[in-house]
Amino acid sequence: MLSSFDPRINRLELPDAPSIPTDKVALDQFPTYEVFHQRKENAAYAYVGPVHAPEADVAFLFAKEQFSRRFPCTGMWVAPTSAIQVTPYGNDQESVYNLLPLLPVESATADATGQQAYDIFHLKKRGKAHAHVGQVSASSPEAALQAAKAAFGDQRPVVNVWVIRSADLLRSDDEDRDMWTTTPDKKYREAISYKVQDRIDRFKQEG
Amino acid sequence: MNPTLDLLYRLADDQLILGHRNSEWNGLGPILEEDIAFSSMAQDKLGHSLQLYTLLHELGEAEPDTVAFTRNAPQFHCCQLTELPIGEYDFSLIRHFLFDHAELLRFEALADSSYEPLALVARKIKGELKYHVLHANTWVKRLGTATEEAIERMQAALEFTLPYALGIFETTDAEPEIISSGLFIGEKELQTRWEASVSKVLAQTALTLPDLRTLTPVAGGRHGQHTEHLQPLLDEMAEVFRLDPTADW
Repeated sequence: MLSSFDPRINRLELPDAPSIPTDKVALDQFPTYEVFHQRKENAAYAYVGPVHAPEADVAFLFAKEQFSRRFPCTGMWVAPTSAIQVTPYGNDQESVYNLLPLLPVESATADATGQQAYDIFHLKKRGKAHAHVGQVSASSPEAALQAAKAAFGDQRPVVNVWVIRSADLLRSDDEDRDMWTTTPDKKYREAISYKVQDRIDRFKQEG
Repeated sequence: MNPTLDLLYRLADDQLILGHRNSEWNGLGPILEEDIAFSSMAQDKLGHSLQLYTLLHELGEAEPDTVAFTRNAPQFHCCQLTELPIGEYDFSLIRHFLFDHAELLRFEALADSSYEPLALVARKIKGELKYHVLHANTWVKRLGTATEEAIERMQAALEFTLPYALGIFETTDAEPEIISSGLFIGEKELQTRWEASVSKVLAQTALTLPDLRTLTPVAGGRHGQHTEHLQPLLDEMAEVFRLDPTADW
């Protein structure tokens, strides 16, 4: 039996020799979800990073763990990566909206029955995060981009735009606001409280 | 025992022992993100126990570290549910589900406690517990509607764990005064709310909640009677402290 200094490992009663490797299962990775967080009340939701998860609810849990523990956070959204429409990248200081092919007006203002809400996110500068600028109503992601140009196209600079159907965003509940307020004294979570330099110096002198 | 101390010891010991147990998944969880989530919640529980031991210290009890690390099993007031070994992940998830539903309702009620320092702590803790319950519900709903194997294992874990979970609500002699003084709504009322709350989630799955009246609660923990698993846990948890009580890092 495998023995370890960690009693938890001993309790697992693992065999000494590794078992014969089996073939890797195809598609054994979970899909990715993209996470947006709100750093303080009334601030725009901004992109913070991806998580792997089997479904949106679980992605939300993982997102909370990965992205809300170290910084203040007052809300979170997640969307499947596959649900995000991305424009090409424009140049710094310009607006990527000017590079987009214009759709005929009639397709941008299709009949009201097929209209859905879309959330629009702008990247102001390469290396920064996409931030939420607002919602538009449209009949397709392409039409949503045209509507976004009309609503937010005067902003400068816009290096890149993300369009997400609002129904594809799982949003934290306003009722659950207290979920984000954690106990104030969490210094033990921060690496800064592990001050070891003194002890390292002392150890070196003793050595 | 004084009703406030009696209540606080039960609350604090539950958080410490289950926090320590759940921390045993650290590095061994089923997938990386879930490992992080479960370990993080275990750390929350240890943080909750520290806050509650601090309240006890303010009432004249020993320092939190002394209280946590120097008592033996018969001096602990945790329910036996919290001390059981982590087992397989199905058991650990079901324990987390059954325990944290009770904890959320408990601390929501304690936010209105007549003992103001406890009410203040409860208002802080209940937000974190809300997330712990969201986490538990998400997995119970997911696995409780997944494959045949998942449903069977979750059902078996549920049936094994329920008698221990009913032990959460074991009362002590201080119970009438705890209720009459407005410290807490009492275990009976808590159990009623808990049954409604867990039933509501289980109803959204293929899992069935047995008739709780047919089960015998595993009691004793609140009176210092524990399983053979608690003392080894305490020995392991306090190993460093007992080697060197001034150890610091």
